[in-house]
Amino acid sequence: MNKGLLSVTPAFIKVWRRNAQVFITLWKFNIFPSLAEPLLFIFVFGLGLGSYIESMEGVPYIEFVAAGIIGTAAIMQATFECTYGSYFRMKMQNTFEGIISTPISAQEVSLAEITWGATRGLVNALLVLVVLLLMGVLHRWQAALVPVIMFAAAFNFAAIGVFVTSRVAQMEYFHFYFAGFILPAQFLSGTFFPIERFPDAVQAVAWVIPLSSFVDISRSLMLGRHDIYLLPEAAWALASTLIFAELAVRGMHRRLVE
Amino acid sequence: MISARSARTHDSIASSDKRHIDMIVEARSLTKRYGDLTAVDAIDFGFEAGRCYGFVGPNGAGKTTTMKMVYCIARPTAGTLKVFGLDVCEQPREIKAGLGVVPQENNLDPDLSTCQNLIVYARYFGIRHEDAAGKCDELLGFMHLMEKARAPIAALSGGMKRRLVLARALLNDPRLLILDEPTTGLDPQVRHLIWDKLLELKERGITLLLTTHYMEEAQKLCDEVLIMNEGRKVDGGSPGSLIRKNVPAQVLELRVDLAAAGEAVARFPGMEHQRSGQNLYFYSRDAAEFDEIISAYPGAERLIRPASLEDVFLKLTGMEIR
Repeated sequence: MNKGLLSVTPAFIKVWRRNAQVFITLWKFNIFPSLAEPLLFIFVFGLGLGSYIESMEGVPYIEFVAAGIIGTAAIMQATFECTYGSYFRMKMQNTFEGIISTPISAQEVSLAEITWGATRGLVNALLVLVVLLLMGVLHRWQAALVPVIMFAAAFNFAAIGVFVTSRVAQMEYFHFYFAGFILPAQFLSGTFFPIERFPDAVQAVAWVIPLSSFVDISRSLMLGRHDIYLLPEAAWALASTLIFAELAVRGMHRRLVE
Repeated sequence: MISARSARTHDSIASSDKRHIDMIVEARSLTKRYGDLTAVDAIDFGFEAGRCYGFVGPNGAGKTTTMKMVYCIARPTAGTLKVFGLDVCEQPREIKAGLGVVPQENNLDPDLSTCQNLIVYARYFGIRHEDAAGKCDELLGFMHLMEKARAPIAALSGGMKRRLVLARALLNDPRLLILDEPTTGLDPQVRHLIWDKLLELKERGITLLLTTHYMEEAQKLCDEVLIMNEGRKVDGGSPGSLIRKNVPAQVLELRVDLAAAGEAVARFPGMEHQRSGQNLYFYSRDAAEFDEIISAYPGAERLIRPASLEDVFLKLTGMEIR
């Protein structure tokens, strides 16, 4: 019997619906706080710091940084959802145990959590995108494709989050994950300035972080750039997403069905 | 849906040993190890349809682990375990479709209302929304929770939550209902209500499998009791036969001074006894044999009563606290 992604049936959508139902019940508590950070970033980096920077890579700074802010908003939300959120559902509420006592499998619960984290990330990315649109930062129709990339980025980080959740012995370990990976990812991934400004060694590390690829692809779409480098970036974005999702699903199965 | 399920189960039973035709659950050398700890150590059991089985044993005896293996959320390390004739490692999804589970800890969804809890859970079993709504009303009625249908979980008392978990376990019309300490921490009213409902379910032909720390509960509900200790099955049988087999019919409970307790035990070496601090328990077939002891300790608090499953339990699993 396959213990990974291949064992998953469409039944995982039922668990996604459970999360969506709870989210809708509590939407006021969910939407507004998660928008605070991206809006602050737009204000501080885009408008505040941006007023001192004439242009970056040939475009106004706010247009450059837009992809970074959307990407950060997407992955942060997905990460919170699939670390603290998933852990809480798993350990505090025993929700997962209740679900896997039905025909739903642990792998389906994991994929549902990842997909749900990705959905939360997408919702955030869309809201930030609307704000940027209203600000007149978006000029090209290709920006309409950005939500697709952002869903994928959020999915990727949701998968890493669920994988980490499947391994931590207690919630406090997430502090290390946030300090050691998420925070660096947020600032090293070419979000606020080009990765090329880093020393070579740091550049190599930065490109391994999947967010770099997602942000660069989104930025290229928004600014109408086409470059051969986007192909390996897309390949790594896709491959890392699959790898992390497989690891997460297997890790969660191991944890839940010991 | 039910007919499809039973048809499938019949196929697999037909292909297996004819003798086990009515076995709902069957374990052979079932073992579960967590690292160095052997939680369940090569136990065997077989459960027939339509009866009630109870696991009793001290905390850490392996009861919950055994139950979790039956409802497929813990994988056996060794041995075989079949539920409805299906292997728990091979076909957990098919098995779980026919199970109702009341876990030791309530795991209701605190963010959903009473009714939403049932509707969302019904979805996991593939029950259509229209059917689920009807089922929800029926089960809330059955468990006397109708007036709480729209209440948030936080507004329910402990007894109500437990009844709701039981209602939830019945959504899919299970053939086997698994209950891990169903009445722990509940008031007598709720306990009696749950007992009544469980016996009603048994009369409807549902097989019950429970764990409990209350020997009274095991005696009241179970056709067969399995006593576990340190991962092993110590004894098993009907409550009556376990009592007859393991302890004399009459018990004298005596509370004496701590100094007198050791001496009292030594003074009546011929009589079966147990000691817990100052409390002494003497066992005899004939209550008249207690007279000598009673006259030796005239001032001591005492009680003569028939032997119960609790006496069997303490005898087989020991008095010491773990």
